[in-house]
Amino acid sequence: VGKKVQAIYLWWHKPVVNKDLLQNLPNLKVIANSGVGMDHLDLKLIASFGVKMANAPRAVSSSTADTGMALLLASTRRLVEVHNISISPSMEYCEADILGVKVTGATLGIIGMGSIGYKIALRAKAFEMNILYHNRTQRKAEEEQTVGATYCKKIDSLLQQADFVMVVVSLTPQTHKLIGKRELELMKPTATLINISRGAVVDQEALVAALQTGGIEAAALDVTYPEPLPRDHPLLKLKNVIITPHLGAKTDKASYRITEEAVENILAALSGLPLPSEVFPS
Amino acid sequence: MWYHKPVINEELLQSLPNLKVVASSGVGIDHLDLKLLSSYGVKVSNTPFVVSTDTADLGMTLMLASSRRLVEGHEMAVSPDTEYFPADWLGAEVSGATLGIVGMGTIGYKVAERAKAFEMKILYHNRSQRKKEEESAVGAVYCKKIDDLLQQSDFVLLAVNLTPQTQKLIGKRELELMKPTATLINISRGLVVDQDALVEALQNEVIKAAALDVTYPEPLPRDHPLLKMKNVIITPHIGSATKKTRWIMMEEMTESIEAGLAGRPIPREVL
Repeated sequence: VGKKVQAIYLWWHKPVVNKDLLQNLPNLKVIANSGVGMDHLDLKLIASFGVKMANAPRAVSSSTADTGMALLLASTRRLVEVHNISISPSMEYCEADILGVKVTGATLGIIGMGSIGYKIALRAKAFEMNILYHNRTQRKAEEEQTVGATYCKKIDSLLQQADFVMVVVSLTPQTHKLIGKRELELMKPTATLINISRGAVVDQEALVAALQTGGIEAAALDVTYPEPLPRDHPLLKLKNVIITPHLGAKTDKASYRITEEAVENILAALSGLPLPSEVFPS
Repeated sequence: MWYHKPVINEELLQSLPNLKVVASSGVGIDHLDLKLLSSYGVKVSNTPFVVSTDTADLGMTLMLASSRRLVEGHEMAVSPDTEYFPADWLGAEVSGATLGIVGMGTIGYKVAERAKAFEMKILYHNRSQRKKEEESAVGAVYCKKIDDLLQQSDFVLLAVNLTPQTQKLIGKRELELMKPTATLINISRGLVVDQDALVEALQNEVIKAAALDVTYPEPLPRDHPLLKMKNVIITPHIGSATKKTRWIMMEEMTESIEAGLAGRPIPREVL
């Protein structure tokens, strides 16, 4: 059976692609990943077997950008907290305790201005937010102007000014623990951290400490390390944390588009044509 | 006056012979009998525009949270029983979907501005059509008949004020016209929706979900069916509940009161 397999469509990191699997599939030509992140794959190993790899970058950008905005809004307007108050058997609460923070006019700092980061900027602009961004490279002037975004070459400058810090980078050795103790200390004590990239981009222990000591105000995390977190993890108990189960790209439409992109890549690889979204080991 | 307290009736007005002005918090004045107050020579003010962006922001928050199942998702993420996240757990996409705004006043329009950035298709129903430039700026299409809006929308957002004409504007008939995959979002007043009809529609899957910042009454009785439904998000009337806005509201109310007491024209007077 192994000899018949020419393509793998990887859904949610399964099957695990290791040396064993690759050796048992001598005719494997392509692995198409559902989603855009490739950090769970050993790209060099796969390439060494002559197997091409592809991701689905276009399919997930809108839904993931929507998730970033949803988390920002839900966190600052205390949605989970107040919904629980609304439905709880005892309606005791103080008006002043459920006030949120105004989004319109606040400063959003986007770390990672790729397709997803840029879509977030487009959305945030409509909320009249002031937008800063940090990226490996600066975007073109017209792109910056369209969303009114200001480039921060140094991440420090973004961290010091932002009311909301949105992390939208891909996970690489360079972005591993990009947000650690130092970065959290640079953030305003009234700021909220939103992570829609990968859990490992944030130093989770440092985050817990910052949230517990008031170093930052709140966090909203669609991704953690691991997923799910152990049930006794401090993040699960903090009132000022919203955690969602990696739902960034989990919509009916995105699932459809992901599969379409994967199939496009697989068919191209099997026909010996260039892949629409090939990923190479860096 | 905050949150409709104290209740202004004939009894109260008779016991306050020197009452000159009632400054009401927020924009809605449906809880005030304007004719009665006028007959006692009492002036009324509200705080109409300051609440607009926060209320529009909350409308967007409810739409995003509902469609992506944020509350449910958070519960799953923190529940002691969760061992893994199911691969087939999906929400509905907001980007590119159709939003129908019922009531295109200041708040409705701000919702449209925000929704446009999510590449949503925007329909609106209003007593009168907006100017062409206003429509083009947000790409909104006028639906003279509410039915057209209800039949095409993935999200129906209510942003009307409460008047005798808008009471129970959304009833059994309107809910049945909505798509079975649609979500109702209410940031106006509880009474704009026939709540019993809404409960039935949700229970029979006539519509998919609801997200309500307002109900009737507020708060709902603790045994009300809406509190138990998984596909319903309820928030405690927090449309304007941000620190900055509440501060400005207080400033505006104080300003109106001072003007009223000094016999000057009252800013934001409601006639």
